[in-house]
Amino acid sequence: MPTLLDLPTLWFLSARTMAVAGEDLPTVQEAATGLYAQAILGLTEEECREAKDADHISNKTLIDCLAGVRALPTEESEKLLTGVMMIAYADRSMKPLEVRWASMLASAIGVSPDVFQRCCVNARIIASMLRPSGGAA
Amino acid sequence: MSKGETNFQFLDRFDKRVARLAKQAEKYVHTDPDSCMFKLRLMVETMAKTLTSLQMRGDISKDLGAMLGALERSGTLPRRQADTMHAIRRDGNAAVHGSPTPVPTAMRRLREAYKVSGWFCKMLKRGSKINLDAFDPPKPPTPVDQQTKNLHGKIDELEESIEQRRVATRESLLMFGPQEDVEEVTRRITEELKALDNVAAAAGEPVIDADFVALVMAMDLEQIEEDPRHGGDSRQARREAEEQLDGIKKHLADREAVFLEERTFLMEQRVHHQKENQ
Repeated sequence: MPTLLDLPTLWFLSARTMAVAGEDLPTVQEAATGLYAQAILGLTEEECREAKDADHISNKTLIDCLAGVRALPTEESEKLLTGVMMIAYADRSMKPLEVRWASMLASAIGVSPDVFQRCCVNARIIASMLRPSGGAA
Repeated sequence: MSKGETNFQFLDRFDKRVARLAKQAEKYVHTDPDSCMFKLRLMVETMAKTLTSLQMRGDISKDLGAMLGALERSGTLPRRQADTMHAIRRDGNAAVHGSPTPVPTAMRRLREAYKVSGWFCKMLKRGSKINLDAFDPPKPPTPVDQQTKNLHGKIDELEESIEQRRVATRESLLMFGPQEDVEEVTRRITEELKALDNVAAAAGEPVIDADFVALVMAMDLEQIEEDPRHGGDSRQARREAEEQLDGIKKHLADREAVFLEERTFLMEQRVHHQKENQ
């Protein structure tokens, strides 16, 4: 049975999975991930560092991640989904595995189509705010 | 290093303007550390402009911070060099705005500029062999008294702690930890994702299916915002997100201000001691 993960680990695991699915790591490996974690999810610097500690995150699977987000309170899980969609929107393009990961996360959380659309709107807004002007995306 | 010698002689072969600025910074490090920082900042700006013109296309901001950011995102500027250049930019800006630069701070940045200039030369002429000798700190023109030495020791400790706090902040913000093998993590996640993709495709999907996700992701933001179900929410979301982001940015700016205050406090102590001695 998968171990239930804490919010910081779930965030970094699901965010990096979306980044990997987008095949554009250099663009998204920016401060946006941590900024979102601290500004929107309310995580501390220490929690963000601990979550990425290799011993902490390296043996966790995507199944663990899906099981973990399923168990999160609604507000947290919707914020997490919004952040993951923000990562997906960061490079203004959409890859099949990004779509699949978003679909799996949304289903695991159990959001309705309306809520999913709202998360996407918010994600697009945040992605546009964080996207530096003049940059490639 | 005796008078007239320089650590930056090798730069002449690659970029004379950068070489001149580096040598000027080196000359001022003990006698006028603020001017040393001005020169180092200008040196970094010159390097960034050169790299931008060589490696990037399109309209790139002339602001140094944005230029470094763009170079970093394009993969031209590695993390370590970016950190060094940003640190010089920050301390150079602080000096321009009247915050006094202690000698140990200027020396630290000069040493870092030496390392980064070696990397810069390799970027300018790919394949060129540059073996940098160990940095030889310029000697002060007059002997330094014990009290000043003690103060410099304290400032060095403070700089070290500021550096560590900055690194900690940066590590907290990035997607991967410093010890992680990004390539290996990426490979593993891709494998898992593809396996899950196959399972999902074979099993059919519940409420939010991939077609629906693809449709929503492909929709223009304006199109979704126009939908009466989301219009109000999106405006509120933007306000809230802006406030939260501003909060974090302010927090980071406040931390930098505290670093400067700590440094200024030590410098004021030095002036106080000097007055007492007189």
